Amino acid sequence: MREVAVIGIGQSVFGKLPQRNVVELGRESVWTALKDANMSPKDVQFAYVSRLYDAMVTGQTILKEVGIREMEIVNVENACAGGSTALLGVWRNIALGVYDIGIAIGVESMTTSPIASKLIPPAKEDLEGQLGMTMPALFALMARRHMEEYGTTVEQFARVSVKNHHHGCLNPFSQYQKEFTVEDILSSRMICDPITLLQCCPNTDGAAAVIMCPMDIARRYTSKPIKVAACVLKSGNYAYLQDDITFCPTDYKAAMEAYEMAGLGPDDLDVVELHDAFAPEEIFRYEELGLCNRGEGAQLLNSGATELGGRIPVNPSGGLLSMGHPLSASGVRVVVEIARQLRGEAEARQVANAKTGLAHMMGGAVAGLDVGAVGIQILTA
Amino acid sequence: MAERVPIREGTFIESAKGGILLANRCKSCGQTFFPKSSICFNCFSEDMEEMELSRIGKLYSFATAYMPSVHFQPPYTVGMVEMPEGMRVFGPLKIQEGERERLRVGMEMEVIIEKLWEEGETEVIGYKFKPVIS
Ligand SMILES: [Zn+2]
Repeated sequence: MREVAVIGIGQSVFGKLPQRNVVELGRESVWTALKDANMSPKDVQFAYVSRLYDAMVTGQTILKEVGIREMEIVNVENACAGGSTALLGVWRNIALGVYDIGIAIGVESMTTSPIASKLIPPAKEDLEGQLGMTMPALFALMARRHMEEYGTTVEQFARVSVKNHHHGCLNPFSQYQKEFTVEDILSSRMICDPITLLQCCPNTDGAAAVIMCPMDIARRYTSKPIKVAACVLKSGNYAYLQDDITFCPTDYKAAMEAYEMAGLGPDDLDVVELHDAFAPEEIFRYEELGLCNRGEGAQLLNSGATELGGRIPVNPSGGLLSMGHPLSASGVRVVVEIARQLRGEAEARQVANAKTGLAHMMGGAVAGLDVGAVGIQILTA
Repeated sequence: MAERVPIREGTFIESAKGGILLANRCKSCGQTFFPKSSICFNCFSEDMEEMELSRIGKLYSFATAYMPSVHFQPPYTVGMVEMPEGMRVFGPLKIQEGERERLRVGMEMEVIIEKLWEEGETEVIGYKFKPVIS
């Protein structure tokens, strides 16, 4: 396998942008990534493109707007891990020597999708969905269980949101750009007890793109190639094998595989971007990614370790809670953000001396499985 | 009288004792499944036998939603109940006035069968859990 480098990154502004369609958002992210890599559109040999809602030949529709045609374009869907899936396709083709230069794109326009301003609806055959299961309900059940099992409090869940919204204020790409206190978070509208509105990520439009090539030619395009040390995608296991709903075994296993592939461990990480669609979730993910022991997620948060300036800042971008969550774009966006951090280009939200970072995205609630899919990448400067 | 149809065939029965959930068990390795599975996901055996679950389990977690879902208007409460046979079952909770604040993880819940919602002239029936009053 060849060593693969990230050489170009781009993203659109994230927000509620109904006047800008998927093609415009996608085009902005691709054009920015091409400029970032000092690359002509002609140099791109293949693309993996992810979108969830209303998708049909999304990649072709976007790429024709930057002069890219007549090549292998694969359009993929994997719920919130769709972007991670696109990255895997590009990374593996380059690692195996099939192609040299490829682009991964994730894009979503939630405000113009058929589910705009609705909860993501369950499938007709989804028995639990018919019985009242929703994404907020699922995370509320996990949150209640974590409180019961480990004594975690609603204030601690709220503090995740305070932290990420604070980080988001330092990020010009973020949707919210507003500070909140624990009281603000807890007094916002109750969505599904104990989860309030400001503990939920908003509906968001946006796109992100990443260009990769073999490390041995990366310096033709950039003075700061970022090595992809691990790239893992894993589908969920049966929920009946899960001993505790607050700990997703598939997420844990995907993380362990990524650490093994990269030849390092959680203690070596300087920065993490992870899936925080609901504030309590960030605490569960700390435990699965091995940033702390099982059951000690709230203590890790309380210690300040995961804030900017702490030992291992998590979601310095603002995360899904503040940046917003254009579903298929988020898996690509986390890699854009980690690459920025490792290049030292994250400006006000820069993690000092960041050399190693982990990007995480997961998604898709499937009744009977612990998760739909998990995508993890480890990058090194 | 309105026609009553189950939310999913073969997931429950109404007995003289009350509602009973129907699961199945792999005759090769003993793994149990709810809802029933046509094969065993552990050992891939097709040799499955139906089993009735106990009527009472323990509340594993619960949540009250203040947003509508496909068939329920807020506020409505859902939960997961751990059955003695070893599985966690998700379903709506039937809560009397004032009972919501008294819900506790670990309390005993019993299976009841009743109308979930109406579709025109048809009543869709299914299982819910309600606190055991002692
Ligand atoms: Zn079996």
